[in-house]
Amino acid sequence: MAVPNLFDIFFYIIFQGLPHTLLLTFLGLLGGFVLGIVLALMRVYGSKELQWIASGYEKVMRGIPILVLIYILLFGVPGLFFFIDLRLLPLFSVILALALRSAAYQSQIFRSAILSVNPGQLEAALSIGMSKLQAFRNIIFPQALRLAIPSWSNEYAVVIKDSSFAYGVGIVEITKASYDLGVGFHQLRIITLFVGAFFYLALTYPVTRIIGERQSKKLKNLGMGGG
Amino acid sequence: MFQTTPTILEQFIIVLGYWDRLLSGFVVTLWLYGWAILIGFFLGLFLAILRQYGGWFISRVSTSYIEFMRGTPLLVQIFIIYYVPLALNFPVGSWNFKTNFLLAGKNITIVLLNQQILAGIITLGLNSAAYQAEYFRGAFMSISTGQLLAAQSLGMSRFSGIRNIILPQALRRVIPAWSNEAAYLPKYTVIVYFIGVLEIFAQAHNIVAITFISLPTYLIVAVIFLITISIISKLLDIVHSRTRIPGL
Amino acid sequence: MLRIHNLYKSYDDLEVLKGISFELARQEVKVIFGPSGSGKSTLLRCINMLDPPDEGEIFLSGQNITASGINLNSVRTKIGMVFQHFNLFSHLKAVDNVSIGLRKVKKLPKEVAQKKALEALDRVRLKDWANHYPAQLSGGQQQRVGIARALAMEPEVILFDEPTSALDPELIGEVLQTMLDLAKSGTTMIVVTHEMGFARAVASEMIYIGDGVVEERGTPQHFFTSPNSDRVKRFLNQLNTLYGTHEQLLQTGDEENYK
Repeated sequence: MAVPNLFDIFFYIIFQGLPHTLLLTFLGLLGGFVLGIVLALMRVYGSKELQWIASGYEKVMRGIPILVLIYILLFGVPGLFFFIDLRLLPLFSVILALALRSAAYQSQIFRSAILSVNPGQLEAALSIGMSKLQAFRNIIFPQALRLAIPSWSNEYAVVIKDSSFAYGVGIVEITKASYDLGVGFHQLRIITLFVGAFFYLALTYPVTRIIGERQSKKLKNLGMGGG
Repeated sequence: MFQTTPTILEQFIIVLGYWDRLLSGFVVTLWLYGWAILIGFFLGLFLAILRQYGGWFISRVSTSYIEFMRGTPLLVQIFIIYYVPLALNFPVGSWNFKTNFLLAGKNITIVLLNQQILAGIITLGLNSAAYQAEYFRGAFMSISTGQLLAAQSLGMSRFSGIRNIILPQALRRVIPAWSNEAAYLPKYTVIVYFIGVLEIFAQAHNIVAITFISLPTYLIVAVIFLITISIISKLLDIVHSRTRIPGL
Repeated sequence: MLRIHNLYKSYDDLEVLKGISFELARQEVKVIFGPSGSGKSTLLRCINMLDPPDEGEIFLSGQNITASGINLNSVRTKIGMVFQHFNLFSHLKAVDNVSIGLRKVKKLPKEVAQKKALEALDRVRLKDWANHYPAQLSGGQQQRVGIARALAMEPEVILFDEPTSALDPELIGEVLQTMLDLAKSGTTMIVVTHEMGFARAVASEMIYIGDGVVEERGTPQHFFTSPNSDRVKRFLNQLNTLYGTHEQLLQTGDEENYK
């Protein structure tokens, strides 16, 4: 069997592994975003019962390993979502697991961002006659989103790393591609795994570093978070 | 095996009948967790000090390590560490250290150390160290640099200043964030399943293979994690309230 | 036009307003002053129902806005507010800060709102700064944008909550001048402030609030020549020592150096 050279490894991972990793990450983050905002709103503006529900949800999702969650959905979901093609079931379970988990963390991020917006902003919005809903949509939420960006870029990194657990249900994403490629030779496997690691690093490090720093600078210039 | 499919309740009871496997897996999980936290703590603290107070080069090395461990998935890391000795052709026999005891009529054997478990402990420790290093870094940065200067102006060496002035404060300041990491670390021990360690998730997998009862089994595992993490959280909260610096 | 009747307000155990009553006619300018903590800011927040009073009524153009079932949002379009800390919307440019109320609350079309916003900014002499963000403006400019934002809604009365207290001394003059121009052009205003020069120039009545009650009221004339209570006398003397020079800021005019 011909031993693949470095280029082969790179291309194999890019074409075999990268698409699924990106798909899982993107959909997982998206689902987590939507649900996360709902949960954050429940916790910041909701009644005691809503707060309790949201808080409970967060506790549960943060307390179980993602692999366990994936398997629970894998075996629990067919009953609920019978219309999903069985072949897509593993993929669907992983995306759902990533989204449900990310929602719990994004809820925390948005909740904290909403609370950091200067309360004077709400007062001013109300004083010109906006309803609470209008005030939130036009004044508080845009600012909260900007404040949330550094933490959110961190969450992006987390989800992309968690997507590696899809390996456990047979989905070919970066980790599985790197692992499978090194079949036969242990030395080769180490190399392919390192290349896979490099891919993850390339996807996470620039984002967290640059977005994190630039946002902190931008926020200082806009003077946001303050009066 | 069964005439009719058992009801949900019966399913749970059947699975719980395999409590010895679950217990054995749970012990391994805690065992891994304990070592990971321990190694992570000391190595992480060391890395953070190097990064904050080391020279230009050492600081860079420490930072690179931390960024690599935090920027790559735990799964990839454990595979790499697992295959390194194999790649280097070390003679890895199938050695192990186990413990054996009798509980409620069942003979329970728990393997505490073998090739795979060692690899798992090392990986979890190295990984946790990187994350803990970040928390320590936060604590260090929150202590004004003036304090170290003041210590040195009294004649303390840099090392002594770090040891006597910075560290006691940093260790107390880091507790809230650190508790976060410490409480949730058990979750990550599941990763060793992929290299063949019989921790609780692996045991659950086996039970599913035997009984064909899947959802209740995994739910039970989930509940076990939730309870464990809650207990650890509460304990750490108590520690936090006992060691707080007044006014901070 | 505005009638405050017997307002009471407490926070936990502390009673902050103990039966405040007064009236305001159109184009009147009332200045409320007194020691800090006496409830002046609380009073303003009661008037526009941001923080409703525990007891008492408020009548705006005959309508009891403290009654239940009132649409407070639409009431608040008739009562403008200028804040001590400006509270500009930091993610919006100056012109958008002023126009957003017109667009979202009064539902005016974009072009109309834009035009009115620029007019309001022109009135406070900041038309050239319309496209700047609050963080790019000086404190005095920010406050003037805040005034424009309140003006643009064309309210029946504008409440000023210590509008110059958070400003650096050299920036106070431009804001006071703006307020002076507003008063002279007939805007109905209630101003909580220490700026006695301003009061002397345009106030139709001054109200001294101490310990949550109206201790004394009267024309500026009355206060500056012969106030009744000794406490008020002492307070005015203190104010004079601290803020006396601000009067000159008003007289020497307004074309100061803008940032």
